[in-house]
Amino acid sequence: MAEGTLKKPLPAITTEAKPFWDAAAQNKLVMQRCKDCNAWVWTPRPSCNECGSERLEWTQMSGKGEIYSFTVIRQVVGRAASKAFEPDIPYVIAWVDLDEGPRLITNIVACPAEAVKLGMKVSVVFEQQSPEIWLPKFRPSV
Amino acid sequence: MLRPLSLIMSIRGKTAIVGIGETPTDRLGSKPGEPRKSSAEYLAWAMHLAFEDAGLSLKDFQGQGLGVTIPTAYPQPFWPEEVAEILGITPGLLLGGATGGAGAVSLLGGMAAAINSGLIDIALVIGAAAPFSEHWGGGIQPGDMRDWEIPYGTMGPNSKIAMVMRRYMHQYGATLDHLGKIAVTGRYHASLNPLAYLRKPITVQDYKESRLVADPVRLLDCVMPANGGRAYILASAERAKTLRKQPVYLNGFGERSNPSYGPRAGSDALVMGVKDAGRVAMEMAGVKHSEINFLQLYDDYIIVVYLQIEDLGFCAKGDVGYYERTDFTFKGQLPIQTGGGMINCGQPSTAGGTLHVLEAVRQLRGEGGDRQVPNAKIGLVSGLGVLPYGKNLGCCAVAVLGNEI
Repeated sequence: MAEGTLKKPLPAITTEAKPFWDAAAQNKLVMQRCKDCNAWVWTPRPSCNECGSERLEWTQMSGKGEIYSFTVIRQVVGRAASKAFEPDIPYVIAWVDLDEGPRLITNIVACPAEAVKLGMKVSVVFEQQSPEIWLPKFRPSV
Repeated sequence: MLRPLSLIMSIRGKTAIVGIGETPTDRLGSKPGEPRKSSAEYLAWAMHLAFEDAGLSLKDFQGQGLGVTIPTAYPQPFWPEEVAEILGITPGLLLGGATGGAGAVSLLGGMAAAINSGLIDIALVIGAAAPFSEHWGGGIQPGDMRDWEIPYGTMGPNSKIAMVMRRYMHQYGATLDHLGKIAVTGRYHASLNPLAYLRKPITVQDYKESRLVADPVRLLDCVMPANGGRAYILASAERAKTLRKQPVYLNGFGERSNPSYGPRAGSDALVMGVKDAGRVAMEMAGVKHSEINFLQLYDDYIIVVYLQIEDLGFCAKGDVGYYERTDFTFKGQLPIQTGGGMINCGQPSTAGGTLHVLEAVRQLRGEGGDRQVPNAKIGLVSGLGVLPYGKNLGCCAVAVLGNEI
């Protein structure tokens, strides 16, 4: 790709996810919770996975969790991959289990790749990518 | 062993594989001016190999079943119909593989059900891809991957399997020596398979020293994309008896797609849907673990092969000692990947997984050549596909094949 500065791919703000991105822009991490069976519903969707209820409520999360697993990206490979991530290499992608339960894919930031460990306690931080998109990432808890 | 009536009365032994076609794989087309073939050419090639093997021709498939695995990069949803046009078939039932890399194994179940119902009598299941010689392009499709993964810089399946592998090694104490044994066994079998692409034997040391791609996933953990085509023909058991090759019966089938909903609280990403799919398939076939002569397991990564052996119940979860003492070669207690698997034969997109069906058929016919499993009567094949957000592989299909009903 020769043209200009490479931009990282951004999520689309779908109608079901808009409340998530609106909250993220306020540096708040929210997820849907079922009002009928109390299950957490993640990623955003129209009805509860567990019981089918459409009575879902956006709920603010603690923003705290721990690393279930992680990988260190050392090269850009694959059809869907963007060269825009090349300057960040090596960087860490992790599965973080929030204290409330749901697991997200995220980056671990403010921590060298060699220092990242399974079970490490982490807290959310928001990184602005565009006027509308603030991506929740995680750093080691202090 | 008592089995539910629904399984006894099912598709067990009602159909058989009567023909197989496997083109050699290659990586032609990555350099400008290199001679190349299109996926249409690999499709036709695989189909004619299967026809030759079965002693059938195009006219036998008019008004019958056509199943097509759908390559991941293909940018429109009408590929199965286009394949019917390319091949010159007017199907009476056209099915697309909806389960990604599990497509060919899933279609065994779908086509067997259709044959058993009387809707059709025979089916061609086929797939091809030419990722090196064709560049279909296509943007990122809507969905979880676009919105919740790619913005973090995930690099396709490598990133997710790397997290499964790290967690597994951490939780159960498996080491690179345990995983390396699987890699070495597969390559050894590939060295005995004239159709394999990677045939030079490797050592556990080679595996451990191969380049890190997505830590802890190394180069020798990964399947290799390739151009190629693969096909099989499934017929009713009655029809199979009239054809030239020894029928290989579909005695058991099970499928579990989306085995858990979403990344729920405490979700165990280390248990795969093959656990349930395998149990159903084995119950339908009425076989015990000790009666299964070999496994052909879907192998996009070494850790995926490793996990399936325990999830299928050949050992307890996390029993690393089992992997130390078991000989997985074709002469051993539990032969796996007897042709080298997809990791060594190449992955033409979703036609990759078809390979395991073909190798099982060869073994059950006694056509395994230098890698023939002695007295092979019953084999288990798995197909897996799709790596959803926050989970292990999402589509899982298992078939139990045998040279007797």
